Amino acid sequence: MEQIVFGIGITALTGALATIAGSAEDTESNIGSQGDPNSQVQLAPQMGFVHRIFNKAVAGEPPAYGLWCALGAGLAWSFMAMQVNAVLAIVLGCVLAVFVQGVYATTAYLGRTASLAKFGQPVYVDVLKSMTSVTMAHAFIAIFCVVTLCHLINGALGHPFPLPLLGLIWGIALGAAGSATGNPYYGKERQYQNQKFGAGVPISASGNIVRYAEAGERNSLDNGWFTAKIGGSASGVCFGLIVFLEIWRTVLFEQVSAGWGAIVVGILMILVFTVIDRYIEVWARKNYGPYTEVKEASS
Amino acid sequence: MTVKVEVIEGGIPHQKIMIAGLVSTLVCLYLTYLNVLTNTEMFAFFGGLAVVTALIWGSHTIKVLCSYGIGTGVPSAGMIAFGSGVIAMLYATKFGMAAPIVATILAAVIGFILGYVSNNILNMKIPAMVQALTEMAVVGALTLMGFAALMTGGFTFEGLTTSEVSMLGISISTTQNSFIGGALIAVAFLLGAIAIQHPFNATLGPGWKQDRMLMLTAECGFLSMIVAAFMSFALISMGAAIISLIVGIVGWAYTYNQYICLSKRDAAAWLDAKPIPDVEGH
Amino acid sequence: MSAVAAKPQAGGAMNPTAMAVGAVMIIIILALCWYVSPGAGLMALVGVIVGGVLIGFGTHFVPVGGAPAAMGQAPGIATGVAMLAAGAGLAGLFGGAWAAEQGLLIATITGGVGGGLMMAITCMMVNFVYVFGMGIPAASGKVANDPITGDSQKEFKSQGTEGHGLPFVSFVGGVIGGFLGGAGGTIIYLELLGLYESTLPATMKMLPAQVMPIAVAAAGIFAVGLFLVNAVLTAYNITGTIEGPHDPKFKRWPRAIVASAVASALCGFLAILIVAM
Repeated sequence: MEQIVFGIGITALTGALATIAGSAEDTESNIGSQGDPNSQVQLAPQMGFVHRIFNKAVAGEPPAYGLWCALGAGLAWSFMAMQVNAVLAIVLGCVLAVFVQGVYATTAYLGRTASLAKFGQPVYVDVLKSMTSVTMAHAFIAIFCVVTLCHLINGALGHPFPLPLLGLIWGIALGAAGSATGNPYYGKERQYQNQKFGAGVPISASGNIVRYAEAGERNSLDNGWFTAKIGGSASGVCFGLIVFLEIWRTVLFEQVSAGWGAIVVGILMILVFTVIDRYIEVWARKNYGPYTEVKEASS
Repeated sequence: MTVKVEVIEGGIPHQKIMIAGLVSTLVCLYLTYLNVLTNTEMFAFFGGLAVVTALIWGSHTIKVLCSYGIGTGVPSAGMIAFGSGVIAMLYATKFGMAAPIVATILAAVIGFILGYVSNNILNMKIPAMVQALTEMAVVGALTLMGFAALMTGGFTFEGLTTSEVSMLGISISTTQNSFIGGALIAVAFLLGAIAIQHPFNATLGPGWKQDRMLMLTAECGFLSMIVAAFMSFALISMGAAIISLIVGIVGWAYTYNQYICLSKRDAAAWLDAKPIPDVEGH
Repeated sequence: MSAVAAKPQAGGAMNPTAMAVGAVMIIIILALCWYVSPGAGLMALVGVIVGGVLIGFGTHFVPVGGAPAAMGQAPGIATGVAMLAAGAGLAGLFGGAWAAEQGLLIATITGGVGGGLMMAITCMMVNFVYVFGMGIPAASGKVANDPITGDSQKEFKSQGTEGHGLPFVSFVGGVIGGFLGGAGGTIIYLELLGLYESTLPATMKMLPAQVMPIAVAAAGIFAVGLFLVNAVLTAYNITGTIEGPHDPKFKRWPRAIVASAVASALCGFLAILIVAM
């Protein structure tokens, strides 16, 4: 009984850490404009729309976050193997991982922008100076939360995988969840704010991203505030649910019916989310209505 | 060296880079074998240099492959390189001193078959695919071997799976605190996979220049060497790890500085706190 | 990114000669494995091949829209297909590895459920953001009516786009893809773990308990590596984006089965050689 209560407590903590990590990850990737929306930041100067957005082309979010989290976990593991206190080890590991992340971000911006010289896109050194520290700070929060939850899973809940491997797994999962949830919001709503709300961006408008803001020119720091409106929280909830439910169903139910309990609970959860998704889809169809009139089919 | 500013061309031909990369990586890996001959761990940093040279070769291969527009993006090429390389590398470590050569041959076989599969079974029909995947698998295997040598001082299976830990004054051998047992190989995997695809991914565009990309590769390699050296503190002696760390930091500082200079050379303008320039029509 | 040389259209065509060559390669590798290590080794290899095929096949179900999806121009999730599949599958592998002591069947299904659960949550949140954050309903660009629910798609597609969001069939596809990927990865991990646990103590002359960290970590990293190789091969097969099981590109799956089988057989054979020779 005590075992289960202890397990639930740790599970709740990992869920909270995962939620923060997801939110910070999405904010960081939007401040740096990483992942699929970055194709528009790359395309804009080629269509004549020079801008001051940070062009952080460091792979996509899943592999990049897989690396930062695995690196933070690996460094933390090494420090712990040298008998350094666990908390200090995790902090030091994450600081070094964030240093690597910052360097990659700067080289990506310099590289991509210098290669766009033909279209007159300048390298803005002040963008580099102001954005890098902000994106590093958000990344630190995300990496720290992930490495801590991996340490809890390995140390307190007894998962067989060693810390760096757990860091790799949850880093890639974090990137995938945050990227899936947050990318369309940033890509459609922020980059194409001048398009009509409530519809996708027509292909003819590609490259015509928003470059002027409320005061002066749009810069990537504003995207952090924008992400906090809903994208960041949605990504946080997404990753938090993933981690929490996965561990919760195992801790509580794995002893029930020799393992089948956890499976049944998992399937029930999938069905619940299917119902919720279907509800959202139908609600949208009913409330938003079609874009054009339904044509009377001849059949 | 005049570099043509055309689509994505110019610079040293790929064959030269491939041969230079392969030879220097193997040489650096064997230089770490001096550790065994002299019974120290001081030569572990050659593993890091092997990583740098292998990555330089590999990033150019990725550039050759992805210039054909494979439709999936650059990072996946790095992933498949290391996914196939890790398996070849782990098996090759069982062969003692011949490990780097065996890794090269095995990885080449795996890469060749994967290339054949992609081009013919998956019908991608890209001219450079088979050779590129072969090379990338070899690069993946050798880079991982370089990381292993950097972090543990050698590239044999025993060295990667056990290490000495002293408890209460008695030295006992443990598997948990090792390169494989502690899954540091997973960190090396991702370090290499991101470092191999980043240079081309970050410098692609109409203004791509070969020397800038290769300088960025060297910078990524040395940066990976710095963090790998930090991780090696747990597995090899303090002195050897500090040497690796210093070599990594010096190498990184130099290549990073050079990269910034090259970017300054190539950029349209290097502005500080200036507004968006007026381009006609927008 | 401009193409330097003209690349002939890959298309959806099958290449029967190459598929036959692939099948022959698999048989050769199986024969080699039987020669080197009949029994445990051969069983493990078969398990690895099955796992790899499940991963390759499962990735076809996952709806990925790529860069256009990030702008609401195409349906699907706005991430790369290889990494999204890897993310779901690895989350499943995490759960499956935890249940390893409970037997192959239970652990595999647990891994599958873990992967499916991750995809269910992710797909639901994607639709959530599209509907409540952006005001865009889901619509498919490839079919006139959703195959599962029968909803008509055409009038909910905004002008100038190919569709957006995740129609219900894409959601179901995503869950199935996550399930198959998680199950496949877990099978690979469990087979290799079992093999290493039984043979490494003799090869390394150590106690079974001492060998555990090596077995777990080595099997884990092999599973991750094979995962990525199979997912990238599938990405090559569908050329980067797919809407889900209803997409015409889905019909290309036989090629991917053979390709995944060859790649997994080859890599699995090497993974087994570590303890067999």
